[in-house]
Amino acid sequence: MKNERRLLKNSTDQRMRVSTEESLIPPQASKLIGTEQARATGIVEKKQFQRWAAAVKDRNPLYFDAGFARAHGYRDVVAPPLYVQYVTLGVTDQATLRPDGTPGGQSGDIPLPHAPRRMAGGETWQFHAPLYDGDVITATRRVDDITEKHGRSGRFVLVTWLAEYRNQDDVIVAEARSSMIARP
Amino acid sequence: MADQTYFEDVSVGDSIPTLAVTVDPTQMFFFSAATYNGHRIHYDKTWATEVEGYPDILVHGPLQAALLARAVTDWVGADGRLVSYAIQNRASAFPGEELRFVGTVTAKHDADDGGHGLVDLEIHGEKGEAEVLMPGTATVSLPKRG
Repeated sequence: MKNERRLLKNSTDQRMRVSTEESLIPPQASKLIGTEQARATGIVEKKQFQRWAAAVKDRNPLYFDAGFARAHGYRDVVAPPLYVQYVTLGVTDQATLRPDGTPGGQSGDIPLPHAPRRMAGGETWQFHAPLYDGDVITATRRVDDITEKHGRSGRFVLVTWLAEYRNQDDVIVAEARSSMIARP
Repeated sequence: MADQTYFEDVSVGDSIPTLAVTVDPTQMFFFSAATYNGHRIHYDKTWATEVEGYPDILVHGPLQAALLARAVTDWVGADGRLVSYAIQNRASAFPGEELRFVGTVTAKHDADDGGHGLVDLEIHGEKGEAEVLMPGTATVSLPKRG
C-alpha cells in the first residue's frame, strides 16, 4: 500500500495508476489509432500566403519579392514554412461548429465526449522543400496515438497525429507531428 | 531582415536577436482571417472571459509559433533555411502584453553538402518576468563563407 501511494504521487501515466474511474477514451476513439484520418488537397496561392505573412507582420522579402527570391536560388517567391498547414483548409459549414466556434463535424474530429475542453499541445515540423504559388499540396494525417494521462491538474487525453505534405511531383515538402490535450 | 548569417560566424551559446512583439486585437483578427479560424476565444471577449474564464481574448498559439519561427528565419537570412522546428504550447498570452521570441545556439554540425552547415537552437516565446509561453527547438541550415 505504501508503495502504491508513492506511485500515485509520482506518476503521470495511467498505466501505473490504480483506478476504477471510467476511461476518458471511448472505444470509438481508440479504434482510430493508426488510421488515416484525413486527406485533403489544396493549391498554394501567393496572395494567401502573403496575407498569412502580413498577419504575422513577417515582411521577409523571400515571401514578397520574386526578384529577391530568385537572387537567392528560388524560382519565385516562397511560402513561409509554417504556412504549409493552411494550404489544404476546407470550407466550414457554420451549422457544424461547436459552441466555441471550432469545427465540430469534420472527419478530423476525435470523439472524446468526456473530455470536451481542447488545447493545442505541441508540434514538430520537418521542412524538406519550398512551396511555390500554384503547387498542389496533398496532406494526409493519421492518428499516431490516443492516451490518457494524469498531470498535476488532473486527468487528460493526449492525442498525437502525424501529417505528411506532398506536392504535385509526389515530393514530401513537410512532415509534422502534432498533439492535442483534451480535458474533462 | 538582418544581414546574412554564416555558419562559420556562429558559436554555441550565441543568442539570436530577440523579436519583441505586442499583439493587438487587429493583428489577431487578421491572423484568424488568414488561417480561417473561427475559434471564439480569439475574438469574442465575452465568451473568453465569462464562458472559458480567461482574463481576456487569447493570442493564437499558431500566431505565437509563427512569431517564434519569424525570429529564427529573420536570423538565418535569405540564404539560410529552417530545417526543423518544434514547439510546445505552455501558457496563454493576451493582447497588449509584450511577447519576446528568443533563441540560443546549442550545437553545430557540418552537413554533407559542403556549402552549408546545420545549427541547433533552443528557442522560446516569453512574456513578463521571463514566463515561458512556448518552449521549443529548431535546426537551421546556414551557408558557409568558403
